Amino acid sequence: MSFQLNEIQELIQQNTRDFAKEYIEPIAGQTDKENSFPQKVVEQLAGNDYFGLFLPEEFGGSEAGYLSFVLAVEEMAKVSAGVAAILINQSALAGYALNKWGTPDQKKSYLSSLITGEKLGAFALAEPGAAPGAGPNKLTAVKDGGDYILNGRKSYVANGGQADFYLVFGVTDEEDPSRRMSSFIIETQTPGFSVTRTIGKMGQRACPWAELSFENVRVTAGQLLGNEGEGSIIAQEAKAVANVAEGALVIGVAQAGMEEAANYAKQRIQFGQPIANFPAIRNMLAEMSTNIHLARLAVYDAANMIEQGKNIFTEAAMIKLFVSRIGQNSLIDAVQVHGGYGFSEDMVVSRYYRDVKGSLLIDGSADLPESFIAADLLD
Amino acid sequence: MGIDISLTPEQQKIQQAAREFTAKYVIPNAGKYDRAGEFPEFLGPEAVKAGIYPPAVPKEYGGPGLDLLSQAIIAEEIGYGCGSFANILCGNMMSAKLVLLAGTEEQKKLYTKPLVEGGYAGFALTEPGSGSDAGSISTQARPDGDEYVLNGSKCFASFCGYATNIVVFASTSPGKGVKGLSAFIVEMEREGMTVASVEHKLGIRSSNSVELVLKNVRVPKDHLIGSEGEGFKYAMKALDTGRAAVGYVAVGVAQRALDEAVKYCKEYIDVNGQPLSAHQSIAFRLADMAIQVEAARQLARRVVRLQESGAPYTTESCMAKTFATDTAMRVCAESVTLLGPYGYSQDGVVEKLMRDIKIFQIFEGSNQIQRLVISRNLLAR
Ligand SMILES: Cc1cc2nc3c(=O)[nH]c(=O)nc-3n(C[C@H](O)[C@H](O)[C@H](O)COP(=O)(O)OP(=O)(O)OC[C@H]3O[C@@H](n4cnc5c(N)ncnc54)[C@H](O)[C@@H]3O)c2cc1C
Ligand SMILES: Cc1cc2nc3c(=O)[nH]c(=O)nc-3n(C[C@H](O)[C@H](O)[C@H](O)COP(=O)(O)OP(=O)(O)OC[C@H]3O[C@@H](n4cnc5c(N)ncnc54)[C@H](O)[C@@H]3O)c2cc1C
Repeated sequence: MSFQLNEIQELIQQNTRDFAKEYIEPIAGQTDKENSFPQKVVEQLAGNDYFGLFLPEEFGGSEAGYLSFVLAVEEMAKVSAGVAAILINQSALAGYALNKWGTPDQKKSYLSSLITGEKLGAFALAEPGAAPGAGPNKLTAVKDGGDYILNGRKSYVANGGQADFYLVFGVTDEEDPSRRMSSFIIETQTPGFSVTRTIGKMGQRACPWAELSFENVRVTAGQLLGNEGEGSIIAQEAKAVANVAEGALVIGVAQAGMEEAANYAKQRIQFGQPIANFPAIRNMLAEMSTNIHLARLAVYDAANMIEQGKNIFTEAAMIKLFVSRIGQNSLIDAVQVHGGYGFSEDMVVSRYYRDVKGSLLIDGSADLPESFIAADLLD
Repeated sequence: MGIDISLTPEQQKIQQAAREFTAKYVIPNAGKYDRAGEFPEFLGPEAVKAGIYPPAVPKEYGGPGLDLLSQAIIAEEIGYGCGSFANILCGNMMSAKLVLLAGTEEQKKLYTKPLVEGGYAGFALTEPGSGSDAGSISTQARPDGDEYVLNGSKCFASFCGYATNIVVFASTSPGKGVKGLSAFIVEMEREGMTVASVEHKLGIRSSNSVELVLKNVRVPKDHLIGSEGEGFKYAMKALDTGRAAVGYVAVGVAQRALDEAVKYCKEYIDVNGQPLSAHQSIAFRLADMAIQVEAARQLARRVVRLQESGAPYTTESCMAKTFATDTAMRVCAESVTLLGPYGYSQDGVVEKLMRDIKIFQIFEGSNQIQRLVISRNLLAR
């Protein structure tokens, strides 16, 4: 590929490859099997300055740009999608939002400690989605003097249970659809806040999901992130930015799955020859390679746009639509190339199959990515 | 979906019975056994009581004596509840079908007896070095007096940790490829039969898959099915009817994925107070899934009609297996997509559907091998 990475970006890519091999690979299978949180790896991520990769130097970051961050995510995801997801939730969601909308005081206490790894952050937007009548954004934040009182639940919160603070989105104005929500920084020791349970999931198990409960959680206006009513804007922009990183995660997993499949195909002998000789196998690999290449260009381009301060809502939606599909299809085929062995837990490709589906999820809205893309074109 | 009124009254009764069985024994247990990776031993005996097991065994051997469409319906209904349980009850018929097709009266009795009591059987063809290429099987059977002595190892042998008798494929004329293969009935308790390891899997985790080692296993000569060198021919005959069953189960799994998506999209209310299903983009995705599932069901049921009419049906059963499993794969993945984080979580069932369904594109002849057969038949016309 001729997409020009600069020296720093290439260095970060190479260093992350080494980092992932040395620190993540040894625990990747185990955290998945045991649903355990890779505490040590999180410390190493902090120690190697990953959390602040694209965040300002003023708060301890490296200002290496969003493309560098995306490259790091991609390399980590090749080894553990769960670890890459921890990083995305810490930096691209919590970190990005704090940096863009936080007050100087908030940045000093939260952004700095997020970058050093002293504190783990999380982004609590989704709500329980299974019961009849379930839906997004029911958690309420009612003004009481200068404070807000939060009541409700959040669910599928990544880094949940491990995080030291949560960016929580609650409804402050039921009447005005565009200014309905506000965002709050909630520390775990706040009375009335509790982690109800962790949620088992198909893959990306290093990154825990939790359900949170808020019972008359009182916070001061100082905990409001951005202005009252700005919650939807914050959520939408931070999620679009994080989508680009999630795209990189999916590409990383897909690339790793494809490489596993290619290596396996060269070694597996049936009918007296490597199955890599069969056009049916070669075509599956060719399709994967083409899709991954195109997806990667889209992700890198969107990362570049973020660095240039451009609006990427449409590009993020395109990534959600296209990259999620090609990621899923690549792993369906990568397992197929492995035949029955691809179904064995001992083969890493079976973990990739579970991991790849956990990113770029449509979270409980009818806003399919198509509708954003079409709106940009038509409205 | 209601009971299918285009079925005969007898078949409707079977559908009803299978659905009740699924509601009572399959749906409530599937998740638990999946997580534990445990084999649901209770399943066979309960299914016997329900009159749906062993589906392929005729009345004269103590089975339920079902017509082909009833067997297909059972596979679909149980598949709706759990692809793994359906594999245990229906995929498990493969070796019995072979014995019923090619065995002697004594062999049929011997083989079906444990099944009609709620037990299990097995079909041990695959070896570590021999999957799609059955001709490269290295397990050997050597005649010795009035016995055969079997040596070799088998992998991915389904249910064999719980089976009474299994059918083992071994070469009686090494070097002759598939033309040297013979099929034997082997009792699991025979000396020299060892379950060497149990496979831990991505999906159908409650369906036991083991590695078998055969070390100087002696069976009487009357345990050879048919003639020496004919084993592969029988296997292909059994697979012709057996692989369609994979398609029926896949249709059931896909129907479940669709129903779960429909339910979710009707219940989940978006920011504007409307259910997801009120949006055309969501509703059309559901419609597309439904079109695919129904097309798969009809293609699979066509195999039954061909079979009953006595017409050749190899190509059609390959088509049905491939289309139904490819469709089910897509529909299960789409269901996870539509259900979002809930779909990906283990609070719901669709992530399990997506894990379970993948193997259906691989076993009983991978979908590449199916295309190989279909295209050969197509081009030979
Ligand atoms: C192959 C297949 C297998 C299915 N298996 C199940 C299943 O095991 N469990 C399940 O809940 N859904 C199952 N379903 C889905 C089920 O058919 C319907 O979606 C659901 O039951 C609602 O049906 P209905 O009200 O549209 O109409 P109908 O299915 O006609 O049923 C009307 C009512 O009677 C009940 N009912 C129907 N048959 C029985 C029965 N045998 N015993 C007790 N009550 C019954 C239904 O649940 C429903 O409440 C299956 C669908 C298919 C296509
Ligand atoms: C859960 C499970 C249960 C099973 N149960 C049983 C059982 O009970 N009994 C039993 O005997 N076996 C069983 N199997 C084995 C199963 O049937 C084999 O896995 C299957 O036949 C494929 O063989 P393989 O795994 O060796 O893959 P391979 O044959 O090595 O194939 C690898 C890939 O190459 C492709 N390929 C191979 N040859 C060609 C070709 N000529 N042209 C194009 N593409 C080709 C395949 O489609 C596949 O994508 C089971 C497997 C699993 C995982």
